[in-house]
Amino acid sequence: MRPTPVVTVVRYLLLDRVTYLVLPWVWAAFGFVLDVVVLQLIPAGHGDGRWVGGLVAVPLVMLVVGAQSVARALPFALALGVSRRTYFLAATALALGLSMGFGLVVAIGRIVERTTGGWGIGMAYFRVPRLLDGPWYLSWLTATTVLVLMFVYGMWYGLVYRRAGLPGTTAFAAAQLGVLALAALATTWAHGWTGVGHYLGTLTATGLTGALAAVVAVLLTGGFATIRRVTI
Amino acid sequence: MTPAISAAGLERRYRDHRALTDVAFEVDTPCITGLLGRNGAGKSTLLRILAGQEFATAGHVRVFGAEPLEDDTVLRRMILVREDQTYPDLRVRHAVAAAALLYPNWDADLAGTLLDAYDLPPARPVKKLSRGMRTALGLTIGLAARAELTLFDEPCAGLDGVARALFYDQLLADYAAHPRCIVLSTHLIDEAAELLDRVLVLDRGRLILDAPADDLRGTMTSVTGPADSVERLIAGRTTLDRRTMGTRTTAVMVGRLDDRDRELADHLRLRLERVTLQQLAGYAAEQHDRTGLTAARTP
Repeated sequence: MRPTPVVTVVRYLLLDRVTYLVLPWVWAAFGFVLDVVVLQLIPAGHGDGRWVGGLVAVPLVMLVVGAQSVARALPFALALGVSRRTYFLAATALALGLSMGFGLVVAIGRIVERTTGGWGIGMAYFRVPRLLDGPWYLSWLTATTVLVLMFVYGMWYGLVYRRAGLPGTTAFAAAQLGVLALAALATTWAHGWTGVGHYLGTLTATGLTGALAAVVAVLLTGGFATIRRVTI
Repeated sequence: MTPAISAAGLERRYRDHRALTDVAFEVDTPCITGLLGRNGAGKSTLLRILAGQEFATAGHVRVFGAEPLEDDTVLRRMILVREDQTYPDLRVRHAVAAAALLYPNWDADLAGTLLDAYDLPPARPVKKLSRGMRTALGLTIGLAARAELTLFDEPCAGLDGVARALFYDQLLADYAAHPRCIVLSTHLIDEAAELLDRVLVLDRGRLILDAPADDLRGTMTSVTGPADSVERLIAGRTTLDRRTMGTRTTAVMVGRLDDRDRELADHLRLRLERVTLQQLAGYAAEQHDRTGLTAARTP
């Protein structure tokens, strides 16, 4: 008998349409409306675009959706004879597909936003300074990478929680904070903050997308290593 | 022929607890096997290892001749229906559609029949189902999947008597039409006893009994009557239990009765009752050294 195709498991995941297809769009629309309302209430500044940050809701929803994808759908998939490896590949493929869809909407939204003068109110909903700048295809790539990153990060958290419970998840988060604190300490001891500031100042959207893609690779490796030993 | 399931030296340890110890057995197909034992005996752990959901600490399992863990070609041929199954945020029809996607032998007609029989509303979210209805959903999926190896872990938990009877009838009818390997883990042993071809009894993680169900029927008898008459019949036989109330005694004896024994019992006005599989599993767990029953299967 042939192994379960990854696409079949993607279809299985997409049976939960609300989580994967409705929720992120609802939050994106909600963020958009909220931004419009906020900009109507505050006086216009002198900048060329007023960024309110409603788009941040979408990556945050992707984080939650990623965690959700292993919290409830994984146990049922394993009961139905899907291997952990196939499930992980399918969830990753779904993350990529969803992110490409959202990324395309972001890229198109940027074009519309620019041509309409920020939706007629100077609003920068889709344009994020330094991150979603440049040509449309670069915005698409960057948005896709960010959304995949958030989904996979959420999925890894969900897997750690399933494997190690709340204490393990807390330790997992604490370990990441510890690594960041150590890096900050090391930078301080090496008097490297000027260099870091210079590097961030010169980082282009392309460079940032590459760095985020590298983080995605690390998260995928960690997530896969975690799911291999998950028990249900 | 390759057995449907084989396990050897199987062990599962959790820090200070041994859930399974040196479990070894083989199950051929087609066959309905009862995996029996008290709560905490290790039944669910064993089924989860068979389904690749749990890891063995030592030993190995083979399903259709291959290690099931992370092997899609093997996993796709089996299904594990659990009492405590976690479902995604799906409606009943979506949960059924999920199984239909993943099982090549899925029987949509049977699934529809069972949904109707169990009064499961297809549009209702699974999380809104009662415990019994969730169990019924699991049974529907488990039967309609027609997986070559179907594992039911406490399949009747939360079901009322009518629904349990319906399940046993459906199971038997579907098995007769589509013979395959079915493993039932249950503590409602007597209800399922008539279905079983094989019996495996686990006690505190050890396999203490592995025998064809037919071989077990009649291997123990409960004898009730005047104390001296009971003593006369059971003289020289192994007894597992003896209770006296006034002048009457009830004893459980090991060994089959022949016609002479029955004539003598009739003459002594003794009442003979077959020990049920449930009681037999209990005696096997408590006094397996004395029952003469063994975990080593006779070829």
